[in-house]
Amino acid sequence: MTPSVSPQDVNAIRISKVSKQYGDYQVLKDIDAEVARGEVVVICGPSGSGKSTLIRTINRLEEINSGAISFDGQNIHAPMKTRDLNQLRSRIGFVFQNFNLFPHLSVVDNVSMSPVRVKGVARDIAHDKALLLLDRVGLVDKANAYPGQLSGGQQQRVAIARALAMEPPVMLFDEPTSALDPEMVGEVLAVMKSLAADGMTMLCVTHEMGFARDVADRIWFIDAGQIIEMATPEEFFTNPRHPRAQRFLADLRH
Amino acid sequence: MINDIVAIFHDYWLLLLIGQYPNGPLGGLANTLILSALSIALAFPLSILLALARLSKWPFLRWPVTVLVYVTRGVPLLMLILWSYFLVPLLTGADVPSFVTMLTTLVVYQAAFLSEVVRAGIVALGHGQMEAAKALGHGYFGAMRFVILPQALYNMIPSILSTFVSTIKDTTLGYVINVPDLTFAASQVNNQLLTQPFQVFLILAVIYYAICWSLTHVAYRLERRITRRRAGLNGVRAATVIAPVKIISEQL
Repeated sequence: MTPSVSPQDVNAIRISKVSKQYGDYQVLKDIDAEVARGEVVVICGPSGSGKSTLIRTINRLEEINSGAISFDGQNIHAPMKTRDLNQLRSRIGFVFQNFNLFPHLSVVDNVSMSPVRVKGVARDIAHDKALLLLDRVGLVDKANAYPGQLSGGQQQRVAIARALAMEPPVMLFDEPTSALDPEMVGEVLAVMKSLAADGMTMLCVTHEMGFARDVADRIWFIDAGQIIEMATPEEFFTNPRHPRAQRFLADLRH
Repeated sequence: MINDIVAIFHDYWLLLLIGQYPNGPLGGLANTLILSALSIALAFPLSILLALARLSKWPFLRWPVTVLVYVTRGVPLLMLILWSYFLVPLLTGADVPSFVTMLTTLVVYQAAFLSEVVRAGIVALGHGQMEAAKALGHGYFGAMRFVILPQALYNMIPSILSTFVSTIKDTTLGYVINVPDLTFAASQVNNQLLTQPFQVFLILAVIYYAICWSLTHVAYRLERRITRRRAGLNGVRAATVIAPVKIISEQL
């Protein structure tokens, strides 16, 4: 089954009227947004604002109550066979805050397992590809180590390589540096920067404002389940329009 | 006393080893080992299926298995054995060999217990691993097979081992429905000698201990190998130089 991709559609992801609630609590309110191909979007906002929930709805790790999220022209929240959902998910890279590497597999097996088991890539080809990806994140010498032997920053870089191994056109990052010691944040951001430079479509929830300023094409500021500001980093950092965004930036400077 | 034991061994070793085979059914230690091995080999995969059913989101899978587990846990094994021994032929009219009755009962009983161990192992892993697998495009069964179960089963080795050991010991209950196992053979010996029950049953205890100890030892070795591999100590001889690897089953 090949997804119907209209070449003129410049959007990799289109979020339309997405709402989600837990009981009475409205986590996401009528969110409308698009991510263009090759665009790097940084989502920021105060904690509890719905940033992580939003990014997790994009590969349907969270269900939504209404609305649609289309990825390559297909609504990922439409009723569909589990197989089709898995197929869609395999083309959306996801990097977790807590890395979630598979501790029972070596680093290279972490990276090569899913191409073999999900896409049916031959084992030796997947292995070689994994080594290339590990080289790209600077960890080829750790190929035979186990996740438990790596630092947090190294684990997160392996997690990025693992997501890249599925050759996704889009990568989602859910606070990829929040669980790291400060001295390890830089190495992960450097990998993300190089991905952005290669033209990867990226959506990142992060508190790293330096990264947002340098790498993002656009910033979405989210508060109480709504995107209240969408702006270029230039506009956002020098002249935020919404008072909540102004306060957020002021708090960051302290 | 030692002499008595040696004499019993000398006179009856073949009966204890294979029962009355080839003049009768295979029995003795051989049959105990076969019954134990088959019980474990069948109960283990069944327990994984039961655990997955218990964790299923479909009530029609979850409920029957939950009932089975609760009933099995709440009834003594001996009751179950007697039930299946007397009721199955009564209800079906089929002449079921006592070995098959024993095997089936033991498999269902131990699988129910083991399924709770497996379920606990899966639940204890948390959501992160399943989410990571899903995000990479794995289906439920792929995620279970390649991500969740290898970790959950490894973490539960000590509890799984305990259940295996108790399976071996529970084969002795086959005695009450005339399954010709080691216990049955020992009691035949005892009936012939009449005056040396202590010696006969000491032999029996030592043999069971040896079997269970061997299994524990094998599992311990297996666990140690996996732990060392995951700690990256592959091929490292002087493990003492590095922090000693923690083996859970040592605490048993």
